[in-house]
Amino acid sequence: MNLPSCCEVNDKMADPIISLNDVTKVYDGGTRALNEVTLSVKREEWTTIMGPSGSGKTTLLNIIGCLDAPTSGTVCIAGKDVTGVSQAVLTKLRRENVGLIFQQYHLVPYLTALENVMIAQYYHGNTDEAKAEEALKGVGLGHRLEHLPAHLSGGEQQRVCIARALINDPAILLADEPTGNLDQNNGKIVLELIRRLHEEGRAIILVTHNPDIIKLGDRTIRIVDGTVEWDSTSGGTANGE
Amino acid sequence: MAIVSVLMASAVITALFTVSLGVGDNIAQEFSKYGANLILEPQSSTIPIGLPGVTMGSVTEQRFINESDLWLIKTIPWKVNVRGFAPFLYQVVNVSHGSNAQEAVLAGTYFNKTISIHDPTLPPDQQLFTTGVADVSPWWKVTGDWIKDQNDTTSAMVGSKVAQTLGLSPGDSFRVSYARGQNNTAETNATGLKVRGIVETGGAEDNQIFVNLPVAQELSGRLGKVDTVQVSALCIRCPVEEIAASIKEKIPYVQGTSIKQLTNAEMGMLGKYQSMMALITAIALIASMLGIFTTMTANVVDRRREIGLMKSIGAENRSIASLFLTEAAITGLIGGVIGFGVGIGLAQFIGLSVFSTTVSLRWEVLAAAIPISIGVSLLASALPVKRATAVEPAIVLRGE
Repeated sequence: MNLPSCCEVNDKMADPIISLNDVTKVYDGGTRALNEVTLSVKREEWTTIMGPSGSGKTTLLNIIGCLDAPTSGTVCIAGKDVTGVSQAVLTKLRRENVGLIFQQYHLVPYLTALENVMIAQYYHGNTDEAKAEEALKGVGLGHRLEHLPAHLSGGEQQRVCIARALINDPAILLADEPTGNLDQNNGKIVLELIRRLHEEGRAIILVTHNPDIIKLGDRTIRIVDGTVEWDSTSGGTANGE
Repeated sequence: MAIVSVLMASAVITALFTVSLGVGDNIAQEFSKYGANLILEPQSSTIPIGLPGVTMGSVTEQRFINESDLWLIKTIPWKVNVRGFAPFLYQVVNVSHGSNAQEAVLAGTYFNKTISIHDPTLPPDQQLFTTGVADVSPWWKVTGDWIKDQNDTTSAMVGSKVAQTLGLSPGDSFRVSYARGQNNTAETNATGLKVRGIVETGGAEDNQIFVNLPVAQELSGRLGKVDTVQVSALCIRCPVEEIAASIKEKIPYVQGTSIKQLTNAEMGMLGKYQSMMALITAIALIASMLGIFTTMTANVVDRRREIGLMKSIGAENRSIASLFLTEAAITGLIGGVIGFGVGIGLAQFIGLSVFSTTVSLRWEVLAAAIPISIGVSLLASALPVKRATAVEPAIVLRGE
């Protein structure tokens, strides 16, 4: 896969790991979820995205995570222009660069905690049970390796999800309301894990409604009606300006 | 549900193929129970005689087949398909038992005759051929015994109507007399016979008396002669007319007449049986495919999130397709194996209830049923799998 380099985005940041330039997403029904969004995220930066429901946060996360393609505009991930590439290429890019943490955990119900982690290794082409065990031990689940998701608490399931997200050592972690379904204690544990992953040098893009989480990040972006209404790094009010 | 669908198809295929192979192989034999399907008669009243290249005149008024030529029937190219034959020499005789007397047809024939095939090209074990009326008339219902000894000149098998009229039962003795010449004024030959068995066919045989051929020949003074020969020469693929023509090449003065009604019925039944089997198989396969298709489609819809998740964590379309196709193949394998077992049971039931015979396990049917089951399962899963690969990974974040 030889993707064109796209570091020449109109952004002043050096070495951005994510660059979106005038990205618009219009769904089949005509809904304009994103409207000419321009955004760059540095390596090792924790960016928190806020906004009301239906504002376009999830669509933005989907496009950054190569789960969806924009209708127009340019998307660069890890310095590669992925605009207009095939699903197969997007899948490969996602597999190699992005880890996903979901609000609903999305564990495969008939696989154990260990197998749920190893499935990500399998699609990456390098299953390593010892490494998967280490990842689960790293999130405090060394004693829950053979448990099915139904036998784990919500916090434990979210930690399995985190272990799965980082098992292939991605440079970017996307988290969609990671504490949305957790009690305060479990929420703290999960945020502590994310903070640790950030300290290890990963870019974190986290969507949340919780104002307390904003404080943990380096940068906050507020999205309203598909546009970047406010960006803490610039103090601007629209489209990151 | 998908396994049940495959199981049903596999069971039907197994049952029909097993019955077809197990019973179908013997269908010709089953049909041969309906008797001879070729009758040989003397073609003309004149037979040239002499040596090769030397004409020595002809014998006129020949209306018989020479018994000594009958072995030639087993030397034709289709000889393997000649299951048996029986010559008949008919004569009207007076039959008397006590005070009862009546005229009846006496037929001389073979019951259990071993003849020599004078063909040096045949292996020694094929140079003897045992045949008789039981081969061409297997439907005879006999009370008592068959005549088993080809040299028995005192036994007779009596048609049921003759036996009833004369009050004959197995073991009874009676007398037959034959008036040679015309106007019943000539010399009369007579002999005593003992009833070995009573024959009931519902046909002309009920009015006849059957004895070993030499008895009839002796009685009528037609030594070495027969009137007709009934031949049971049946196979699925070879036309009876060709067998008749082959016999004519060997015995030029006879003509063979196929009993077309029977032959056509046999072929027609075979054709209908095969068509029915193909139709039922096709219906079973279509029903199975619909069942699998429905189940797999529901499975894909139910697992959309799982598919989306797998894609979101890096699964390519071919991985998703492999997952579902593997499941379909395993479903086909399990359903095929179980269905094979069920089908064998079904085949036994069909064999016993329809053909009154058991059918043996046919491994070639297993070799066909399993790949067909897997193939049907994979084929029926093609569209659902395509649908699975079209699932967008973004649905896991959109929460659909």
